[in-house]
Amino acid sequence: MDIFAQVIIDGLLTGMLYALVAAGLSLIWGVMDVIHFAHGEFLMVAMYLSFWLGFLAGVDPVVSWIASGVFLFIIGALTYRLVISHCIGKSAMPPLLATFGLSLFLKNLCMNRFSPNFRLLQDTLLGGKTVMIGSVVIGLPQLVTGVFSLIMLLALYYLIKKTRLGWAIQATAMDREAAELMGIHTDRIYLLVFGMGGACVGIAGGLMTSYLAVHPEVGSLFGLIAFLIVALGGFGSIPGALVAALIIGLVEALAGFYIAPVFKYVAVFMLYLVVVMVRPKGLFGW
Amino acid sequence: MKTRKLLAVFGLCVFTLGLFAGGALAADKVLKIGVVFPLTGPVATAGQRCVAAVETAAEVINNAHPEFNVPLAAQEGILGGTKIQLVVADHQGKPDVGKSEAERLFNQEGVWAMIGCYNSAVTKPASAVAERMKRIFLSGCSSSAALTERGYQYFFRCAPTDKTESHEFVEYIQWLNQNQNAGIKTVGLIYENTEFGKHAADEGKAAAKETGFEVVADVAFNPGATNLNSEVQTLKAKNPDAVFGACLGGDYTLWVRTMKQMNWLPKVALNYCTGYQDPKIAQQLGPDGDFFMGGTGYSPEIGAKYMPDVAAVEKIYTAKVGVPFDSDSIQEAVALLVLAQAIEKAGSLDVEKVAKILRTETFDSPLSLGGKVAFGPGGQNMKATSIITQLHGGKYMPVFPPSYAEQAATVPMTPWGKR
Repeated sequence: MDIFAQVIIDGLLTGMLYALVAAGLSLIWGVMDVIHFAHGEFLMVAMYLSFWLGFLAGVDPVVSWIASGVFLFIIGALTYRLVISHCIGKSAMPPLLATFGLSLFLKNLCMNRFSPNFRLLQDTLLGGKTVMIGSVVIGLPQLVTGVFSLIMLLALYYLIKKTRLGWAIQATAMDREAAELMGIHTDRIYLLVFGMGGACVGIAGGLMTSYLAVHPEVGSLFGLIAFLIVALGGFGSIPGALVAALIIGLVEALAGFYIAPVFKYVAVFMLYLVVVMVRPKGLFGW
Repeated sequence: MKTRKLLAVFGLCVFTLGLFAGGALAADKVLKIGVVFPLTGPVATAGQRCVAAVETAAEVINNAHPEFNVPLAAQEGILGGTKIQLVVADHQGKPDVGKSEAERLFNQEGVWAMIGCYNSAVTKPASAVAERMKRIFLSGCSSSAALTERGYQYFFRCAPTDKTESHEFVEYIQWLNQNQNAGIKTVGLIYENTEFGKHAADEGKAAAKETGFEVVADVAFNPGATNLNSEVQTLKAKNPDAVFGACLGGDYTLWVRTMKQMNWLPKVALNYCTGYQDPKIAQQLGPDGDFFMGGTGYSPEIGAKYMPDVAAVEKIYTAKVGVPFDSDSIQEAVALLVLAQAIEKAGSLDVEKVAKILRTETFDSPLSLGGKVAFGPGGQNMKATSIITQLHGGKYMPVFPPSYAEQAATVPMTPWGKR
């Protein structure tokens, strides 16, 4: 029973982290219909920023996530202004190829500048600390990251559903032309959405350096799983992203422990295939 | 104005001709060697270090270094002045890319021989290309024993295999049971789900079973995983006394940190040529990396005592990558130094002659722990030696065999809470 509880908690914490990584992608995909291939690499950039702030200036990840979030907001906004705005609206392919190119550029830039070395922050405030609930061990960095993810997702959900800005984002997502006729500056909304997508992944990346090594390939699998979560949860749905991420985290943990560790990603992708067949628009899709 | 233009065109022609002529002249005294490693992708760090090691060996061979006590260092080049020119390629850790790069290097770049590929999964098809073309292929550190069980005539490997290391691991835990009353009865394995990992695990399981140890956990994982929670949880549930690990780079750090998070450790953790051997990773893990063990062919501590001639050569290497040689990278330098010696002994670039010398002769190798290199059937270096080390304060301290041991190993490993 203890082991089962441990596996469930591990799965939920992993899922919460996935949710924050995927939330930004869900927003971008849902509002703009842009498949942002560089999302995983944005995560990597955020992790590098957090690492260097920790390594050079001694700023702990519990603080540097703010810098990572802000920096990735700017990077996201710049990406929209300099790349996406020139190719959006024509067909799905140009933004897809542009972001794919951007992902290669960012990965190779980091490889070139920082080498492929694995970089690990030592002596972080949370690093190595655990919380015991009965015999269940919970890593404090994972717990804090999970709680942060929940708070950020709630904030994002509130912003989208309860504020005028959120309504403008929803209107733009539903019908750009109609939104423009209503006086919404859709170009600025897109800029903001891309920035917010970057900020979400920036915050996740900033926090993750407490317990994960940083290297140029670190974002690849996270990026792929984020795509899966968005498709599973439904494009543009923040609650969908959270539920899908928790499901994926749990499936990964349960399959990994009760079937075989090597099977955990097989189970995750199989689940996705089933959902695509049964409900192609995802669990909470519009 | 017209005359000026004519003069400019003439000048350009002369310059271009000069370039080609220079190249042709230089080509007479250059021997191209293909060097294929993962320069991008998940194990790019290791690949880049391997390339730096081969470059270091090339610098030793090409320039006169009479102060080095290394074969061919005192002279300039081989065969009376021929310089080694390396043609470097990146296989990204992908077997198909490695194969096509091998074909490109032989067919288009015209390399005479090849060195590579770090990943056993890539060395396999790339060396098959060389064998088909009857060209020499040297592997420094690809450790899958299957590579030298194919009966190839032109393939040679310098490092010990996973099979050798597996036998050494079980021999060591038997010794620990006898001499340190370690009480090790069960073994678990954690390994990446690749050619290297699976092969190492198969050898580990076979060696453990042969010697009467019960294998209670067999945990394969996907390299580059976002977490290793299920993997460590599985190990923890089975609680093996000894764990054999085959986790490269970032996966190794994740494995160690996840074990810390789960507050679990086996009595001993022995690693194949993996993240354990990377001094940078050991440094970054800090005290968390201590008391883990692994097969090691070189570390600065071992070098200082048993391989004194490495230090001078190592300076060239360290200037390139900022860290000393590790067990893997140094084997790639050995590969080029041995190849150059074989060519020098053959006195020509006749592939058959050089291959025969590689197969039959023994070479001095101050950069190898055994001091010599001699290839046996299938191309395996019969003199390859590795010793078991344990990390103490970031230093690789030899603990086995007893003739090399500098201190008794800390067994069982010190628990996380008491470090």
